[in-house]
Parts: sequence; C-alpha cells; structure tokens
Amino acid sequence: MKILIVDDEPLARERLLSLLKEINGGYQLIEASNGLEAIEQVNQEEPDIVLMDIRMPGMNGLEATQHLMIIDKPPAIIFTTAYDEYALQAFESQAVDYLLKPIRKERLEKALSNCSKLNKLQLEQLGRQNKEVSYRTHISAQIRGTILLVPIKDICCFLADHKYITIKYRKAGEIAETIIEDTLKSLEEEFANIFLRIHRNALIRKDKIEALQKQEDGRVLLKLKDLPEGIEVSRRHLSNVRKLMKS
Amino acid sequence: MSTIKNDSKLNTKKQIKNSSEQNSLFLPDFCSLRMVFAVVIIGQLLAFVLTLAPLRMDQQLWNDLALISLFIQWNGLMCSAVLCLLRPVFKHYSNQFVALSSYLALLLMITFLSELTFYIMEIYYLTDIISSASHWEFLIHNLLIGGIISALALHYFYVQHQWRIKIQAESCTKLQLLQARIRPHFLFNSMNTIASLTRTRPEVAERITEDLAELFRMLFRDDHEMIAWARELSLSEHYIDIEKQRLGERLTIRWEVAAIPDDAMIPALLLQPLLENAIFHGIEPEINGGSITVTGEFDKTQLKITVQNTNSKNLVHRQGNKMALANIEERLEVHFHGKASIICHEENDIYFAVVSMPYQTKNDM
Repeated sequence: MKILIVDDEPLARERLLSLLKEINGGYQLIEASNGLEAIEQVNQEEPDIVLMDIRMPGMNGLEATQHLMIIDKPPAIIFTTAYDEYALQAFESQAVDYLLKPIRKERLEKALSNCSKLNKLQLEQLGRQNKEVSYRTHISAQIRGTILLVPIKDICCFLADHKYITIKYRKAGEIAETIIEDTLKSLEEEFANIFLRIHRNALIRKDKIEALQKQEDGRVLLKLKDLPEGIEVSRRHLSNVRKLMKS
Repeated sequence: MSTIKNDSKLNTKKQIKNSSEQNSLFLPDFCSLRMVFAVVIIGQLLAFVLTLAPLRMDQQLWNDLALISLFIQWNGLMCSAVLCLLRPVFKHYSNQFVALSSYLALLLMITFLSELTFYIMEIYYLTDIISSASHWEFLIHNLLIGGIISALALHYFYVQHQWRIKIQAESCTKLQLLQARIRPHFLFNSMNTIASLTRTRPEVAERITEDLAELFRMLFRDDHEMIAWARELSLSEHYIDIEKQRLGERLTIRWEVAAIPDDAMIPALLLQPLLENAIFHGIEPEINGGSITVTGEFDKTQLKITVQNTNSKNLVHRQGNKMALANIEERLEVHFHGKASIICHEENDIYFAVVSMPYQTKNDM
C-alpha cells in the first residue's frame, strides 16, 4: 500500500514517517509539503491513502482534497491537524476521519485500517463549514485520470455549454482551454469578487475587461485582454458591466 | 385591586426561568405552560397576602379570599395572554420600546378588567363587596397598585437580563483573553515538534521544552506585570526558537534592537503576540516563507519597537487575531496612561506594527 504524507512542516512529516515505519505494514511512503505538491504526487504515484495536513501554504489541505476528489479513483483521505476549531467541528459533523497532532501510533494504525473514501457531499459540507477558506486558489479538471490544476489568477473566463464549462486561461503566454464539470451559478457565488456574470452562459474576469463593442445586429460584445474575439453581453447584465467599467 | 401585583410577580418568576434562552428580548415567554403555572401560583399567594393584610379573622375572610382570588387570577391570566400575544411583535423592537409598550399594555388591560368587573358588579347589585369605594376609587386604586408593581417587575426583568448578558460576556472574555495572548495552534504545534524531535534529536527537544515552559510560566503570571527589556528579548527569542524548529528555513528573523537599554521596563510578553501575528500572516501562508525584522529605537525618553513582516499576497486570507492588538493596546493604557501607543500600517506589502512607550526603569516605578 502506498501512503502519501502531506505536511508543510518537515518535523511533522518526519514523525509520521517514523511512526508508519514502526507500524510495519509494508507501506510505501511518499511525501509532499503542500497541496500543490500533493496533487502532483497523486498524479504521478497514485497513492492509496493520503495523510493530509489542513493548514499549509500555497494550497491548504481542504482545497487539495477538493481537487483530488474529481478523479475517478481518488485516494482515501485522512486529515491531520494540530488544532483547528472550525475544521474539527466540520469533521465531526461529517464523520470524516481525522487525526490530532501529535498523533498517537495506535490511533494512526486504527485510522489506516478502517479509512474510507470521502464522498462529494461530505466534502462540500467541509468546504462550507471551514470559514478560513472562502474560495479555491485553483480550478481542477480531470484529464486522462490525472488532475490538471488551473490557477484562478490565470483564468480569463468561464463559458457554459450544455453540461460542461469551458475555461479559457493563460498558459505560457498563450490562451489554453479546458473543460470542467461545474455550474456557473456556484462558480459565480464562489468567486463573486473576481468574476462577473455577463451572460446566462458567461462569467468573465473583472480586471481583464477592455471595451464594449456594439455589433451591427444589435448585440454587444465585451473585449477582454488576451481574448480578442469578444464575448456576448446579454441585455440583462449590460448595466452591471457598465457600472463596473465606470468604477 | 390586586390584579397588577399579580402580574408583576408573575413576570419576575418567568424571567428567571427563561432569560437564559432569550438573549435579545428581556421579557420571558408568557406563552409557555410553566409561565402560566407560575402566574397562577403567584397570583394565589398574592390573594392570600391581600386577604390577610387587614389583620382580622371572621366569617367574611373566606368570602374575601374567594373574590380576590377570582379577580387576581382573571387579571393575571389576561395580562399574561396580552404579553404572550405581543411577543412576536416585540421581537423586532428595542428593549426600551418593549418595556414602555408592555407597561402601557398592562395598564390598559388592568383598566379594562377593572371596568368590566365594576360593570358586572353593578348589574348583579354586588357593589357592596368593595364596601364604600366608588367607581373611580376602585379604578384608580387598581391602576396605582398595578402601575407601581408592573414597573418594578419590568425593571427587575431588565436588570436580570443585563446581568445574564454580562455573565456570558465575561466567561467568554476570559478564554479570549488567553487566546489573544497565545494561539492554541502554537501550543499543539510545539507539542508535535517536540514529539518529533524526541526521536531524532533529543537534545533539541529538551531545549524546546525548556523554552516552552519558560514562555508559559510568564504567560500564566499576572497579565499586568512589567519586566526588563533584556528579559522580554530573551523570552521572544525563546519563542522564535520554537517556531524556527517548526518552520525551518522559511522563517528568517533579524533583530536590530541594540539601541534599547536592557533595563527599560515593558509589559511582559508584549512582543510575542506581534511576532506570532507576523508568523501567522507573513510566514505560514507562503511556501517560501518570509522574513521578520524587529527594530528598536531609543531617544533617551521614548522607546520605539517596530515589528515588520512581508505580508502574504496569497488569495486565501487568514482570519486575523484582532484580539491580540486590542489586548496590547489595553495593557499599554494600563501602564502608561495614554503615553504609549501601538500603530499598525501596511506599506508596499510590508506590514508594520509600531509600539511606542516612555522609557522607565525599575526605579521609576
């Protein structure tokens, strides 16, 4: 069995490593020091269990878990934390496995033997109850069984199309696209201060707005930096766009 | 006449039982069965008192008791009903408004019931029950007694309510006060660090345990103790030593405090919460960490200590510890009465916390 230890503190990882070696379950042990690294490791190594710290720089444990859950065969997650009131309340109400640091060997053994997979509902509730994480730092997409992370700061717009949403984002100076499963409504709520709804099927980044262009057929297009082709603005949302452009 | 007394006492008792559930509205819930029961019991006791008060013992006593009880119970229950019905309305108003309007409602109810009683007595030629009192005397007596006792009762409810709020606030602050001075995270993280070091580097684990002990010993002392700068500096260094084990390379700190005289007295552990904030906001959220600089300036009369840290630009902002700053402000005020200050500001992603205070030595105090 392969176990991934995720913690930003080297000493905390060190201790977990030695505890796991003592348990002697023939585990293969790998490490990551933040959420981003954890996802990379999951993509490459496909661990069975992840011991996930919650407070980490870059990307915290709860967000990393959210991204991990989009793949078809996500690893089982056991959260570890030293003290985190909100998270603990959330864990208890959702019956999610967690370990309190300093972790006892017996407790760790028990958690490993009966860890179960998180379900999406539990995860959503966790995100909602954790007050420190207001929104994600990345959006994740599943590509051939691995997780692709797109930093929010690189995203230009979300375009809805039937069941899926297309993200257009900057990648090495070019505009790339990827498809995710989500709803514009929830994205709009989560990123209300960064993105603006301009059409029933479009959410654009506020600080990329360049100009409004009236077409001959009466439609209004919004030009964005990096996106010369423009995106249609519906009449309902036009006043919001104008208001934003004035301020 | 006794109607009003009945009410007020009822109110009192209700208040005691219910106020813990009702923080916003100071009036207890008159719709509850318990409250109605209390109204009945207290009303009856009041009827006994009023019957026995004139100091006599004859046949008439039992008649009086029956009539007074009837009148009181009637008034008591009707007044409870009014307060019960008004409760949903009261919820939306301030307590001052509720007090005034419930008082008026009670007086109106008493007037109405007194008039009704008098009317009924007239119809059945029973006015001799209240002996010589005229219509107006009857009404005014009832209103006076009712007015006084309702006012006392409402006041009592209000005081009770305030007292409860205060108790709750106090129990809350004590915990917050400790947390304002040190985050629980720090304790548990340090324990974890020690647990880890015990295996690999027992001598470091030992040193960290000693640091932790010293820090907590000072923390549990009087909140308002003053210590010499030299001691404060060494405590702060112990604190950084502990955090450095945990954060490793990510934490760099520069001390430029040689200017501050060792004998300057400052409130104990003034610096530690500022360093903790700097770590929490500037170092922990960044993968590559950051740096903290502590600068000390001294101009013979005034000390100035600045803690500056790079502020994390990370999207996910952490909940701050405003309590820590408020607590420092308060402690400075207690010691220096307006002559000391803490000012925080941000400039080009660098966060500054500047503490200024007069120079005092142990002999000056």
